[in-house]
Amino acid sequence: MQSPNRYQIALLSAYALALHGFESMFPSPVPWLRLGLANIVTLITLLLYGLRAAVTVTLIRVVLASILNGTFLGPAFLLSLGGGILSTLSMGFFASLTPRLFSATGLSLIGALFHNGAQLLLAYALFIQRIEAVLLITPLIVLLGTLTGTINGIVSELIIKNLKKSGEKIQNVDT
Amino acid sequence: MNFREILKFTTVADRVLFSILILLSLLGLIFVRSLIPGGNSVEIDVDGNLEYVLPLDEEKTVPVQGPQGTTLVEIRNHRVRVVESPCQNKLCIQQGWVEHGVIACLPNKVLITVGKNGKRSSEPDAVTE
Repeated sequence: MQSPNRYQIALLSAYALALHGFESMFPSPVPWLRLGLANIVTLITLLLYGLRAAVTVTLIRVVLASILNGTFLGPAFLLSLGGGILSTLSMGFFASLTPRLFSATGLSLIGALFHNGAQLLLAYALFIQRIEAVLLITPLIVLLGTLTGTINGIVSELIIKNLKKSGEKIQNVDT
Repeated sequence: MNFREILKFTTVADRVLFSILILLSLLGLIFVRSLIPGGNSVEIDVDGNLEYVLPLDEEKTVPVQGPQGTTLVEIRNHRVRVVESPCQNKLCIQQGWVEHGVIACLPNKVLITVGKNGKRSSEPDAVTE
């Protein structure tokens, strides 16, 4: 694991932001179905550069995306921030506590689960305040999160494998 | 890249976790509705405050004032639906008629619950101001 320089952080954040913007262009059939494509970048950052870099990239992505959307400091921002940070921390926790137990796919599942958990808790605390409403949507959200989390994990796995195979880390920016 | 190759680089723990999550969420999907009691009254919360308690067997259309505007709620034939809403995605309207459970419109902070006798099943133990 190498420690990233600020250009790599900027590049990774830009990738995450681009994916975040890309997926918000899709009309979502249900509001809680997000592909979580940005989590691919978070996971790759975590596995190649460590937790600190992953948290930094997540923070930059969430803040910039919300400013571009016009939801900065609004309710959607709080949900996005809570979910993003908790999922990154949980993946970092399991990656360092039990290395090799989970592959990128398992870590992505953990990240998706904690992301959903944080968002449900925040939605309960901030907006809904009715436990029945939260309980009613929890199984559906966990199911969808598990499916998208698995796909994202496999994609991350493939990207990391390819990066390692070609012997190059994520392209550095010329300075 | 076929399925078997993908399966090869997942660990046992991955697959166990995946199976548990799928199983629990499917069980949850099946059983969660039966955990939520149906009822004979409709409660409408705006921004976390209980604003209306209405009987389910009385046909009525209620305009509910939320922060974004008026959400029109209709009660008929022991069912509830949202007729009009100022929110963008109109998901509350798409949800259609609901006999038990919840319709939530987060943008307008309106929450419609079908409950029992106007008695809330999740009464707070204490309220701190």
